[in-house]
Amino acid sequence: MIGESRSAPRGGAMSVEEIERELARLRANEDGTLSLRASVLNLIVVTDEGSAEDVTRSVSELAGRYPSRAIVLICDPGESETRLDIGLSAFCNIRGGTGGTQVCAEQVTVHAEGPPAHHLESLAGPLLIPDLPTFLWYPGHFSPRSPEFAAMATLVDRVILDSAASRDAEVSLGELAGLIGEEGTPAVGDLQWVALSPWRTLLAELFGSPERAGALDEVYRVEVLYGPGGESRAHLLVGWLATTLGWRLRAATRLGARAGGGHRLHFLGPVGEVIVAMDPNSPDAKLRRVRLYSEELSFQVSRHRELREARATVMRGEDLIGERTVHLGTFDLGVLVGEELRYRGRDEVYEAALITAARILSR
Amino acid sequence: MTQTQAKARTLPDVLKDEARLPSIPEPAVIVIFGASGDLTARKLVPALYDLAQGRRLPMQFAIVGLSRTEMSHDEFRERLREALEKHRSGRFSDDVWESFSRGIFYLSGDSKKPETYRELKGFLGELDEERKTRGNRIFYLSASPSLFSTIVERLGEAGMNEGEEGGYARLVIEKPFGRDLASAKELNADIQRYFEEGQIYRIDHYLGKETVQNILALRFSNGIFEPVWNQHYVDHVQITVAEDLGVGTRGAFYEEAGALRDIVQNHVMQVLCLTAMEPPVAFDAESVREEKVKVLKAARPIPEGEVDQYAVRGQYASGWVWGEEVDGYREEEKVAPDSTTETYVALKVFVDNWRWAGTPFYIRTGKRLPKKATEIAIQFHPTPHTPFTREGTEGLEPNVLVVRVQPEEGISLKIGAKVPGSGFQVSSVNMDLVYGTAFLEEAPDAYQRLLLDLMLGDPTLFIRADEAEGAWRILEPVMRAWSGEREIPSYPAGTWGPEEADELLRRDGRRWRRP
Ligand SMILES: NC(=O)c1ccc[n+]([C@@H]2O[C@H](COP(=O)([O-])OP(=O)(O)OC[C@H]3O[C@@H](n4cnc5c(N)ncnc54)[C@H](OP(=O)(O)O)[C@@H]3O)[C@@H](O)[C@H]2O)c1
Repeated sequence: MIGESRSAPRGGAMSVEEIERELARLRANEDGTLSLRASVLNLIVVTDEGSAEDVTRSVSELAGRYPSRAIVLICDPGESETRLDIGLSAFCNIRGGTGGTQVCAEQVTVHAEGPPAHHLESLAGPLLIPDLPTFLWYPGHFSPRSPEFAAMATLVDRVILDSAASRDAEVSLGELAGLIGEEGTPAVGDLQWVALSPWRTLLAELFGSPERAGALDEVYRVEVLYGPGGESRAHLLVGWLATTLGWRLRAATRLGARAGGGHRLHFLGPVGEVIVAMDPNSPDAKLRRVRLYSEELSFQVSRHRELREARATVMRGEDLIGERTVHLGTFDLGVLVGEELRYRGRDEVYEAALITAARILSR
Repeated sequence: MTQTQAKARTLPDVLKDEARLPSIPEPAVIVIFGASGDLTARKLVPALYDLAQGRRLPMQFAIVGLSRTEMSHDEFRERLREALEKHRSGRFSDDVWESFSRGIFYLSGDSKKPETYRELKGFLGELDEERKTRGNRIFYLSASPSLFSTIVERLGEAGMNEGEEGGYARLVIEKPFGRDLASAKELNADIQRYFEEGQIYRIDHYLGKETVQNILALRFSNGIFEPVWNQHYVDHVQITVAEDLGVGTRGAFYEEAGALRDIVQNHVMQVLCLTAMEPPVAFDAESVREEKVKVLKAARPIPEGEVDQYAVRGQYASGWVWGEEVDGYREEEKVAPDSTTETYVALKVFVDNWRWAGTPFYIRTGKRLPKKATEIAIQFHPTPHTPFTREGTEGLEPNVLVVRVQPEEGISLKIGAKVPGSGFQVSSVNMDLVYGTAFLEEAPDAYQRLLLDLMLGDPTLFIRADEAEGAWRILEPVMRAWSGEREIPSYPAGTWGPEEADELLRRDGRRWRRP
């Protein structure tokens, strides 16, 4: 992609009218023509000073695939002094070689300190482009209980969160599950869930052929090996398996540090008992391996230690009877968020998995 | 959790049953006839590899290549790997290839001989056992078209026109679908002797292009275009499929084909159908293809004696394209020095139905034109009356809506606007929307899309027998008239075609757009 970043020379405090005028000016080319604005959505991002740079980079990457008006709110409510600082930029890409049309996506960056940081909705609202869906992305820690969130939520169609961004994934899953049940909450997307979708595709495919689909009912043991930062993924995965396969939770045991940590779960499946062993001791991958055992077969999806590939296998005893290696895909922030921007409505499969995961953790 | 418990388990693999996960085809074997050829190495196997890498193929999947060249499985794999690494530099993974290539096999044999099929059948049976491909078979004919009928007959005789043990058998035919109406009919009849139409997938990769499919999206998901998309509002339509390249190394092939057979019969006719068709009831194979066939049926036959009133052909001479001096067609490799093969075609077509009566469709395609461009221009009638003075409206032209397929996908609308200042000067402005840029997502390769549809059993984007025949029927009189002619108009490379093509429109008081 050929492109060019343009930014407005001035910053500081500006009115909404000034911002719109400056943004239009950014689209003007040197030869006097005007680049077009293409936009398919509004994207509001709430972040802090520390992560601002990373986040801004992902947002401008996203502009290529989802040209949008991005409103990046960098806030520090802890400051007592009010400060409002606005930066404007446009990312214009040239299509079709020489003489091609330029199309620009815009970004408004708002630094808010002090009281305005508690009223971000008043800053974001007037900057939204009408008639387009609006997404709200919290790249970092996020507290669904805060009044700030409630106000922002009314502006948007979908909230994109990262259930692993908080210090405690367990608390975070619980809070999220609580949020989903509430009336008026916009649809929720979770980057950890997006990162799981290649895993879910591979697992589903293992049982794709009719002679193996039957084995799903006979699964009696599941092992999930995950590592630091992978708690949320691992729990969502188990939540998904349990809801989709109709397993009911009977008991959950937290293993002590001496036993290596993790969880041991007892479910009642359609045919009998299912034990799920969750082992958090993978040193190198957030999600390393998932294994399912049925009467005759064992199924496994595992991730190569340092590679992008994952391997799915079916074994009968010691015999390998099916195998394939595929790309697991990239998990860059921009890619994950982009994936979430494709969806508009509520993701009921995710919600069910989340609720089950939270229920397991609350035991 | 309780609501999911109650959910009936109708689908065998409940884990798969979700909109956000991609659908993965059933296990299958693809048998490629013509496996040592160009298309296999350059398009088919790379597209299958990409599907495998992107987790879109089932675990139980195999490719069996067949051609006469003697090769072992490993030699075949090595050859494909080399081609793949060349085309996928940087996006090639050894591990994925290892796993994917274990499912690739090669049989050498003459596809004219029955014993080849006995061997093939036995081999496929073993694969069903070994790789659990469940009797599902796809026969991909990527051999020379002269072999199509024979291969189908042999498959039929060997009883391979039906899948084994409840599996399916599908047949893929590459273009060209015949050389003219008679041979197309013959080919269709030959194939249909053994395969039902529902098993036959005629591939025109143009339909696999995202941008071509977008014509349908634009027309049928936007309420504002459809009401004016007819003869009441439209003066005429121009369809352009322009290439800047010459024939390159494909001279021998092109001498036999020519632009009419190579591009017009398939790609251009497809674009015409998508532009002119009525809204289908549903986006499924029968509804969509039914509407396309209706367009072809409604096309007015060109009277044999008046072909020159409706059709123009041309051949490029040397000239300059994008700063480079290039040879004329007759100087190209493996082209006869006195060749009369056309590299350019312009046609005037009428679609005689309620919607389009009296509205000409001007169609053109050519090689060595100034740039690569595919577009559909809908030229609207001028306003019935203008309140402004003649001097004041000099710069004003009727509205044109252009649907651009290549290179920058988008639409533009030419509208009249007031020139700022005192007085009332009105002039045309172009309003451009490049919606291609709205989604910069890399569009999947056309073959990938089509191979996946094929495996999923969705023939919507494939050509039905009557479509292929309908397209030939329109071109039949033109081909007959041209076959008797010794002279062909020429045009310098890098120009928009021969003078005769301009004359074709000038006679109607119109002119070609510059794309
Ligand atoms: N290449 C393209 O870009 C393209 C585009 C659109 C459509 N197509 C169509 O796709 C088809 C294949 O094109 P291609 O370019 O790949 O052709 P190609 O390179 O000439 O390949 C033809 C293949 O057929 C095999 N073959 C010939 N006679 C045979 C016989 N009696 N028994 C078994 N195998 C035989 C040849 O291998 P052996 O000599 O080893 O037998 C060779 O592998 C054609 O129908 C073409 O019109 C091609």
